[in-house]
Amino acid sequence: MAQPLASIAESQALYLDPEIRDWVLIPIMVVMVLVGIFRDQVTVLIGGGTGKKPGLKAIRETKALTRGVTLRNYGNHIQNNSFFIRKTFLSEAYKRGDYLKNPAAANHAVNPMTDPAGMEMMMEGMKKNFAMIIPQTIIMGWINFFFSGFVLIKLPFPLTLRFKSMLQRGVETPDMDVTWVSSLSWYFLNLFGLRSIFTLLLGEDNAADGMRDMAAMSQMGASPTGQPQDFHKLFLAESENLELTTHNWELDDIENRLLIKFGKRSPTINDDDDTIEMEDISSDFSDVKGKSKRKGINKKK
Amino acid sequence: MSSQSPQNQASLYVPENIVHNVKTITFIRSSMSAITGSAAGILGLTGYSGFIFYTLTAILTSFLIWSIKTNANPGVYFRNGSDVWTEGVFGGLFSYVLFWTLLYGIVHGMLCAKTIIFDVSSALI
Repeated sequence: MAQPLASIAESQALYLDPEIRDWVLIPIMVVMVLVGIFRDQVTVLIGGGTGKKPGLKAIRETKALTRGVTLRNYGNHIQNNSFFIRKTFLSEAYKRGDYLKNPAAANHAVNPMTDPAGMEMMMEGMKKNFAMIIPQTIIMGWINFFFSGFVLIKLPFPLTLRFKSMLQRGVETPDMDVTWVSSLSWYFLNLFGLRSIFTLLLGEDNAADGMRDMAAMSQMGASPTGQPQDFHKLFLAESENLELTTHNWELDDIENRLLIKFGKRSPTINDDDDTIEMEDISSDFSDVKGKSKRKGINKKK
Repeated sequence: MSSQSPQNQASLYVPENIVHNVKTITFIRSSMSAITGSAAGILGLTGYSGFIFYTLTAILTSFLIWSIKTNANPGVYFRNGSDVWTEGVFGGLFSYVLFWTLLYGIVHGMLCAKTIIFDVSSALI
């Protein structure tokens, strides 16, 4: 008991009334937690949980794109001819715009103002932002009105004078030690620190966090909410990517690799006969295009 | 498998599972930072010792995740094995400071005020 007594005496003997703890410090924290939970629930209510369900064609549009990406990433797991059939089919379909939601509008970008879905999305963003800002302002006003100038707590670690304006907002005393925290600054400390508590309470993608909307708001200024993507352009890019993808079947040369793995064959010996044999077998399955491609790859080897 | 290019290796991870694993780590870190923050506050750590305490507990937590949750083989669960040691460490620092301050203020700040008052009154008598 002697040590903290001395440290307090040597810094500044400020006596904090335990009533402050009971009626200001803990209530601010509790209110912030509750408002965070409330805000999360409100966002769920307003947004209808996952939001409005997209139409069948919109889903098809995105899934078609995903299919191309999947083929590019995992194409090596399927056979040569299967890969090339899929590749040609998808890239042709992308170019023709088969999977577009509205094939007629492929050539000009949709104006978000006229597109009803885009309008819906913008409204959604606005509503969400209001749900964020209003509780924020109310709590700040509440703290400012009732508790302005309260010194609530002492930080357990020293800080430089630079932090004085940040931590003692609302207390204009030039000589007070920096480690004392005013009510408004306790609010900000909570704003930052409760983020992971909300993660614990409400799960990963909650809407309770105040700082995240601030980040979202600053992004808002740069671009209006939810600019609808031009899927035709995305499709064209994806078809280009697909055409650049080479195929290298995983099971190529698998016999040798297996034998090497189990020590039946030393890794250095590369048996040409075996690879040729396998080449013949697999070429039976592959179409003409696939065969020519495969030969190209083999020459490179 | 042996002759895979690194790009192909990367595509063998399922993104959903990776996201779930990262979530698990974040959960562990959040709860640990709140708990250790409270512990530091109750213990009455001040200044650097508090931050050193956070570093030590963060390393301990990482080690526990590494040894128990990933069986000393984080590469199976994460694209980058060192994620286990770094993920969410700085995010947890804010919660740690909050709980440290709160508990320190409640346990030590108020208690000291009372004892000072007691001392002064006893001195007067």
